[in-house]
Amino acid sequence: MAVYKRGYQRYEGPRAPHLERLLVLPRQAWRRLSEQRIVTALLALSCIWPLLCALFIYIANHTELWGGLDGDFSKMLAIDGAFMLTFMKVQSVFSVLLAALAGPGLVSPDLGNQGLALYFSRPISRLEYVLAKMAALVWLLSLVTWVPGIVLLLMQAAMADTSWALANWRLGAGLVLGFWLWVALVALVALASSAWVRWRLIAGAVVLGFFFVLSGVGVLVNAIFRVEWGDLINPLRAAYGVWCALMGAEMPAGLSLATALASLALMGALLSLALERRLRPVEVVR
Amino acid sequence: MPQPVVELDDLHVSLGRREILHGISCRLGVSGSGRAIGLLGPNGAGKSTLIRTLLGFHTPSSGRARVLGFDCHKNRRRVLERIGYMPETDSFVASMTGVEFLRVMGSLSGLPEEIALEKAHETLFHVGLGEARYRTLGTYSLGMRQMARLAQAIVHGPELVILDEPTNGLDPTARRRMLELIRQMKDDHGMSVIVCSHLLADVEQVCDEVLILKDGCMIHHADLEAERRENRRFVELEVEGDSTAFAAALEAVGAVCVAESPGRFRIVLPLDFEMARLWKLAADHGLSVRRLTQRRDTLEEIFMKAMGLLRQTPGEAASSQEAPAYGGL
Repeated sequence: MAVYKRGYQRYEGPRAPHLERLLVLPRQAWRRLSEQRIVTALLALSCIWPLLCALFIYIANHTELWGGLDGDFSKMLAIDGAFMLTFMKVQSVFSVLLAALAGPGLVSPDLGNQGLALYFSRPISRLEYVLAKMAALVWLLSLVTWVPGIVLLLMQAAMADTSWALANWRLGAGLVLGFWLWVALVALVALASSAWVRWRLIAGAVVLGFFFVLSGVGVLVNAIFRVEWGDLINPLRAAYGVWCALMGAEMPAGLSLATALASLALMGALLSLALERRLRPVEVVR
Repeated sequence: MPQPVVELDDLHVSLGRREILHGISCRLGVSGSGRAIGLLGPNGAGKSTLIRTLLGFHTPSSGRARVLGFDCHKNRRRVLERIGYMPETDSFVASMTGVEFLRVMGSLSGLPEEIALEKAHETLFHVGLGEARYRTLGTYSLGMRQMARLAQAIVHGPELVILDEPTNGLDPTARRRMLELIRQMKDDHGMSVIVCSHLLADVEQVCDEVLILKDGCMIHHADLEAERRENRRFVELEVEGDSTAFAAALEAVGAVCVAESPGRFRIVLPLDFEMARLWKLAADHGLSVRRLTQRRDTLEEIFMKAMGLLRQTPGEAASSQEAPAYGGL
């Protein structure tokens, strides 16, 4: 029978499991993101560097292509921690750009017309709401960070001999852990800016500002006051420090792993607090 | 055993250092009976705070609030699975279409995916938004958005629907439609409904019981249905002619009759007394009936009395000999 003829009937059947209900939010957010052409274009653009890296790996593993060249050249073509760090640095920039484009549309539409009361009057907690919204962004950012990174490592492992995989297993673990930390930070920044800034353009600018302006400020603080605590407000340097430690590469000068981790933890805590203050079902005037 | 829809036990709620609800205790409604409960009170009485506490938005500082047998704080998820909430403020997600909005809200409340879509369409037609269901909510008029908010509250078929000022800002036709939908919710679908409103006429029209709050305290809880039933027995009568014998005849059939002045009576009729008998009795004594009024203790009077603005309802003095006013005001 047609819906308009049937009339309203109260549903009394079985309910969906809790996790299935929560997946509605990331699915819906993902649908919204995929409708934005500019996000799709940037996603395609961010695949260029992994493709170039894949080509590099291919060349590095086919000695017959550069057999006439000297030994220094073969060192340059080594697939090691330095290679993966370069890959991570470039892809992290793309991930920030993607977050600046996609992030602002995640929470602000719900906040704009006091829609949060409708979400939180349903069996969903604030933490679950944040995690569900974050999941869409994490999925998007994963596509340009650790997923292509793992593909590159698998490709290298397949082309090189088993000894390479045994000697460099740390690269895989470091890449995944390092990018997970990074993606979590970027997603938190994007959500917090979406929660606090109503206008999408400005919210996007805030995301870019957090990473690039704050990093500049950190470097300036270190240079002007001749201190090292400027690193605490430099997300790019802190993340790079952690990646270096994970990859077994040399840490940047003047930065310890503890400082880098403390810096990231501090930023994460502040961003979580910003979200907690903003994402409430009702504004309480005390 | 039927349980109350809402059970408050010495409920105290504080926001910051200020206590908003000061020890409210009561039992409202009966689950599954399809009754509507009106929540009344002046601004700042604590109505919204009470509703938000039931929804788990505020934590009680002491005491307990239970909805459908579950503690609102400790079993928040189980409570919210059974509730539909229509907020007072204009709440919507402007970029979603009506169907998408209801589908998401239904799914979050536990409807399986394919059923959520079906229910979204069904509910939108039910509230009169069938033709506008593929338009984004941002393009809806105020009245349409109000209906969309009602739709999201009932899309998952909750046992209890909480409506905060449902008729605010609606034109008379839309208001009538909203009240009719509320009536259908309780009568046709067996949902319990809590209506929080400043409009006494609206509450009177759809509610079976009322809770009146003032300054964070419960000052009256009345069963409107019982009150209406009781009120049918009180009659004010004005007749022309010699009424002495008529008064005696009324006493003889079991009525309590007080003569206010010659020809003017306040009468408490016995139960099961047909009004036609009163007309016949007057005719038998050769009296012409000039005025016959059945006392109707309006919600406005109940509210005014609860607020301390009215000492007694007209006709209450006569009735007090037989039956005390309901709710013990």
